[in-house]
Amino acid sequence: MPPEAGAAPRSAERASADRIYYTLASIIGGVVGIYFLVVPVLDLNLAFHFYLMLWITMASAFNVAAGFSGYMPFGFVAFYGVGAFTTAILVKSLGFPVLLALPFSGAAGVILGLLFAPTLRLSGIYFAIVSLALAGICRLVISNMPQEITGGSFGLQLGSRAEPVHSFYVMMGVMLMALGVILWLSRSRLGKALRAVRDDAEAADMMGVNVTRVRLYGWLIAAFFPAVCGGVEAWYTNVVDTETAFNTLTTAKTVIYAVAGGLGTVTGPIVGSVVMVWLDELIWRQFPLLNLLILGVATVLLVLFLPRGIVGTLLRWRPEWRRYIP
Amino acid sequence: MSAAIEVHGLVKRFGGLTALDGVELEARPAEVLGIIGVNGAGKTTLMNCICGIYRADAGRVVIGGHDVTHRTPHEIAHHGVGRTFQIPRVFRKMSLIDNLLVPVLDRKEADHALIERAESMLEQMRLIELRHNFAEELSGGQQKLLEMARMLMPDPTVVMLDEPFAGVHPTLCRFMIERIEAMAADGKTVLLISHDLTSIYRLSRRVAALNEGRVIAMGGVDEIRGNPAVVEAYLGN
Amino acid sequence: MDTLVLNGIVNGLIVGGIYALIGMSLTLLYGVLRVVNFAHGEFVIGGSFLAYALFSNLGLAPLLALPVAALSFFALGWGAYYVLLPRLQKSDDPEIMSFLMMYGVSIALAAVMLLIFEADSRSIDYSFRPISMKVGPIYVSTARVVAFGITIAIALALTWFLFRTLPGKALRAAIMNREAIQIVGVDVVKLSAFAFALASAIAGATGVLVALVFPAFNPFSGAEYSIIGFIVVVLGGLGNPVGALLAGILYGLAEQLATVFLPQAMAPIIGFGILVAIILIRPSGLMGWRAQR
Repeated sequence: MPPEAGAAPRSAERASADRIYYTLASIIGGVVGIYFLVVPVLDLNLAFHFYLMLWITMASAFNVAAGFSGYMPFGFVAFYGVGAFTTAILVKSLGFPVLLALPFSGAAGVILGLLFAPTLRLSGIYFAIVSLALAGICRLVISNMPQEITGGSFGLQLGSRAEPVHSFYVMMGVMLMALGVILWLSRSRLGKALRAVRDDAEAADMMGVNVTRVRLYGWLIAAFFPAVCGGVEAWYTNVVDTETAFNTLTTAKTVIYAVAGGLGTVTGPIVGSVVMVWLDELIWRQFPLLNLLILGVATVLLVLFLPRGIVGTLLRWRPEWRRYIP
Repeated sequence: MSAAIEVHGLVKRFGGLTALDGVELEARPAEVLGIIGVNGAGKTTLMNCICGIYRADAGRVVIGGHDVTHRTPHEIAHHGVGRTFQIPRVFRKMSLIDNLLVPVLDRKEADHALIERAESMLEQMRLIELRHNFAEELSGGQQKLLEMARMLMPDPTVVMLDEPFAGVHPTLCRFMIERIEAMAADGKTVLLISHDLTSIYRLSRRVAALNEGRVIAMGGVDEIRGNPAVVEAYLGN
Repeated sequence: MDTLVLNGIVNGLIVGGIYALIGMSLTLLYGVLRVVNFAHGEFVIGGSFLAYALFSNLGLAPLLALPVAALSFFALGWGAYYVLLPRLQKSDDPEIMSFLMMYGVSIALAAVMLLIFEADSRSIDYSFRPISMKVGPIYVSTARVVAFGITIAIALALTWFLFRTLPGKALRAAIMNREAIQIVGVDVVKLSAFAFALASAIAGATGVLVALVFPAFNPFSGAEYSIIGFIVVVLGGLGNPVGALLAGILYGLAEQLATVFLPQAMAPIIGFGILVAIILIRPSGLMGWRAQR
């Protein structure tokens, strides 16, 4: 078949667009990586930056569920809590080194995701509500477990001498891994299949996409990272209890930060987290009692005026840039 | 020449309503089989049963010799069946290229080969300039063409078109007719539902007339045109 | 009959009535506006706090606080509709977007109540005379009996309104088919605002009743009532007010009887479990006629 007239220039154009995309991705990744690398060295606020990395990771994982796959798990904190308790129990009761416990936390998140998989066939609102209820069940089951295992109302102390800088760098590693996975996902065939299922699952089914399997893969990726985050944070703070591990505010912030940045892009959750965490810190310094109120009001304003988030609105305004911005 | 698709005794009920009441038809390679009938005759239901959206209550669907009767939609797609919809179901928040890539994501070919094939398809459909736009930015007629291109990507043997001309500008209709003729010339079996009898009679080698869930007549264009049962079904009641 | 079980049944009816009102107002909102009001629980608790504030500062009896709550929440709801909702209807996915927005509203409202009233549990120290009444072999606090009476009255009034008056029928028609009702000339925007205001008013009034029936409440109690609202709405079928009424009573009975036989801590799990089970098994609810997508 003779090549059409336009094929060669189109191919060159595609290659150059890809080059720009990956260059931008590398620059962003590099800046993020180097910045966080030097935070402890320059003695900047460790706690602030630790949690910034945590939220970037949580929002990015949520983006896989919501932006790429089209699910709004309002019970997202369940994965986080399960991961936190897994690490805590393994470290405290079985003497695991933390670095060995963390992959188990991730596995626990994946297992929970598998358990919740039957809910993936539910439509938008039903799924959101069920997700909320399932997280509530998780919390109640764990808080009702025997004191020796889960610490009852006092929680568990990990017992290891808390080494903040170590856990800081591990969090950085987790964050970079998450961002890498999401970058891969957004360009991969699985990513395209996910988005097709998100847009019209029945049509995707008729195009030969195995909807159930594709949804499951996306879901499990989304479940893995918050679980690991829970484990790392447990290590960082050295304590785990049901109130903080399964705090609904964790889901709230994850959702809001992800939406603020823009669902469906790699950079969206990063931008959203940076802006919102910075805003949160600013408010906290000036008006410590108003944080919660500002969060609520910010959400309402976001939905009303910037429903696609910062990056999403930018791309709406300049759609040609979609190919270049990760 | 053996049939590319056979439907035997297909029955589909929705509660008390019998939408398909024992449909019998078959279509061969390189032929366009027109399917006509008044609203509610069961045309779209028939397509939905064939491609697996609905589960038939009785009967069989055979594609290229394989019984695909109770298979899932994506399995049936892998048997070489493609379809379009009355109201286009494109992947709205994906680019045109990405829309075309979805049916071939599981192929072993390299990414760039698939992309080049997608671009070539878009060129044929005169959509190449918009290839990076999101599908929701297209007009209705353009979306129908996109659907057609997407359907053709995995090189199906049986294609089903549900009202491709509905609400489409006459110039675009002529272009679509050319494309459909090309599909048949390429050896594909085309099942074509339309109310646009002119286009149906022009494109189809044979026509099946559906009424109340049954094929009341099947034959050549002239045969059907003059068939009293068909005329009555359309103009009577 | 065992006294405990009898207590459970009586309490179940009383509590169930409250749940029914929460469910009815929530389902009305969803049915007409397709908005899942995540902040509904906060509306209810807002009513409780209003009654508390009126009682502590002005000595106003809760029964008198009821119409005050209803009217002020009606006005607030009307205003809130126009500020928040029209933009949403144009977005890509109005249901999820409204869910998100009401999520934000619920956080904001809880924060406001937290700022004004602080985190401590509050209760209204109002006693009826006599303090309790004898119902068969058991004693029930008069406050609860009165609340139950009012609950039934409101529920019946709402049902009568929906089925016997023109605006009520318009609401039901809007639930059934939003597009069609515009074609016949109904001002959907005004009707929607009315629905939002009505639902808010009922929620606020229910909050006053909550203060009479439950021992205490705090700014974070709202979340629990929102969840209960969802359970009742899903059980009764989305957009089905009569379904919500029956489901609320049923759920109240189930919850209270469960506490007779099971430890207290298990009760919320039962609730969540019912919600999950219903959605997975029969999403159209026990009485739903609106099938799932």
